[in-house]
Amino acid sequence: MISMRNVSKKYAADKPALIDIDVEIGSGEFVFLVGHSGSGKSTFIKLLLREILPSTGEITVAGQDVVKMKNWKVPFLRRNIGCVFQDFKLLPNKTTYENVAFALEVIGRSKHVIRTQVPEVLRLVGLEEKIDSYPDELSGGEQQRVSIARAFVNRPPMLLADEPTGNLDPATSLGIMSLLNRINKTGTTILVATHDREMVDSMRKRVIALENGRIIRDQSRGVYGYGD
Amino acid sequence: MGINPGYFVGEAFQSFRRNWVMSLVAVTIIYISLLVMGAFFLTGTLLNKVVSSFEQKVSISVFLKDGAAPADVQALQQDLAGDKRVKSIDYVSKAQALEKFKERTKNVPQLVEQLRGNPLPASLEVSLVDPRQVREVVKSIEADTNLAKVIKNPANPEADDIKYAQEVVDRLFQATNVIRLFVAVFMVLLFIVSLVLIGNTIRLAIYSRRREIGIMRLVGASNWFISTPFLMEGVIQSTLGALLAILTLVLAQSFIVPWLQSTLRFLPVTITAAALGQLSALLLLSGIVIGLLGSGAATRRYLKV
Repeated sequence: MISMRNVSKKYAADKPALIDIDVEIGSGEFVFLVGHSGSGKSTFIKLLLREILPSTGEITVAGQDVVKMKNWKVPFLRRNIGCVFQDFKLLPNKTTYENVAFALEVIGRSKHVIRTQVPEVLRLVGLEEKIDSYPDELSGGEQQRVSIARAFVNRPPMLLADEPTGNLDPATSLGIMSLLNRINKTGTTILVATHDREMVDSMRKRVIALENGRIIRDQSRGVYGYGD
Repeated sequence: MGINPGYFVGEAFQSFRRNWVMSLVAVTIIYISLLVMGAFFLTGTLLNKVVSSFEQKVSISVFLKDGAAPADVQALQQDLAGDKRVKSIDYVSKAQALEKFKERTKNVPQLVEQLRGNPLPASLEVSLVDPRQVREVVKSIEADTNLAKVIKNPANPEADDIKYAQEVVDRLFQATNVIRLFVAVFMVLLFIVSLVLIGNTIRLAIYSRRREIGIMRLVGASNWFISTPFLMEGVIQSTLGALLAILTLVLAQSFIVPWLQSTLRFLPVTITAAALGQLSALLLLSGIVIGLLGSGAATRRYLKV
């Protein structure tokens, strides 16, 4: 699903953000990407979304060569990657239903598809009761569920979550993680960038640890690690 | 793909409502630019008509002295008829000259009443194939040996006896050229201002929707899908300005032209339906081009598509 070969990224000449990254993530895996801030997690995710290009190396996502990809094809790459962020990125003037439907509208899905898929995905994330609520009427956990619903409504083969529990309390975070786990069970590849130690330790999934732009550890059924 | 084209128009109008002050300014400036452009276009067609009617009238009048021998007049007429540059020669008798004068001054009948007898001379009206050759034809008329016998002042025919309107036409042409240059400079300035203003409203529209745009990018909306509403908005604004300008000009000319016709009776002031059609097409097209250029530049710059 994701393959990186000798990938390096330098923003400035002397300070590389990622150095010689070699990583394979298979279809249907659940992977944690851990590391302190500044370790290169964000750069890693931006490369997958082709918000930025690597300085050297090859990247393949969902069977597409990201580096050689023409600009106009980038939107089609992103339709294959659902994205979830720490700050939810919901539109405040749209209801739960409208926020999720928006993701389908703007990629040109028909009204029929929208009417069947949106309620279905809202049931999956457990928000069928809050379908007409606006984001400011929802709790943080509920807002993150809306954002997961929006990322998943188009049934992408992979989901990318950047600090999805960063703004949530531990109990709510657990709920979000079990939701991601359930989505993973449908065959969707999941990559979660986080520094939530408890979460990583409790889930016992594959862990890729970054430090100063290098992969220092990659273990299946791993823990957060780091002594501090 | 089931994209509803109404979506883009809807988005554009919604954004129009959101930034209505800025949009109104842009529409107004485009309206004014196109109004000025259209007004000059209409004045131009009127002037062209007047100039060409003058050109048609660039006939040479050879005034004959009272009592010129008809045989001499005929001899001159024959000489002129042999000239290839001459289209036609009309003999206007004293009586006909008086009739024409009466016709021209019918608003002030006192003028004719004050005349004693008929002081107007008979004349030969020589019209030309090409009005621009008027000076050369005049030269050859002056050189004609039969001329001296039929005019009052053979020593200096151009002083009294041969008249032509070349200078009027020359001056008109000079004036219209100056006006055209002035208009062209003015138009370029107005166009630039319009472009900047359209670009600015689109920039504001993009800014006010940056959250949506961010999410659209995130979920993979294509670039054209993101930018089309903004292009549409620019085109809608400029088309609105163009339509208002067309409406204003068509209404204004329907009042002004009849008034001109009644004040300037001797000039052919008319605007044809074809000219109005050209005007509408010109303004609409310029409007759409301004709108596309302005919003295109803004989306390119601020959406980075």
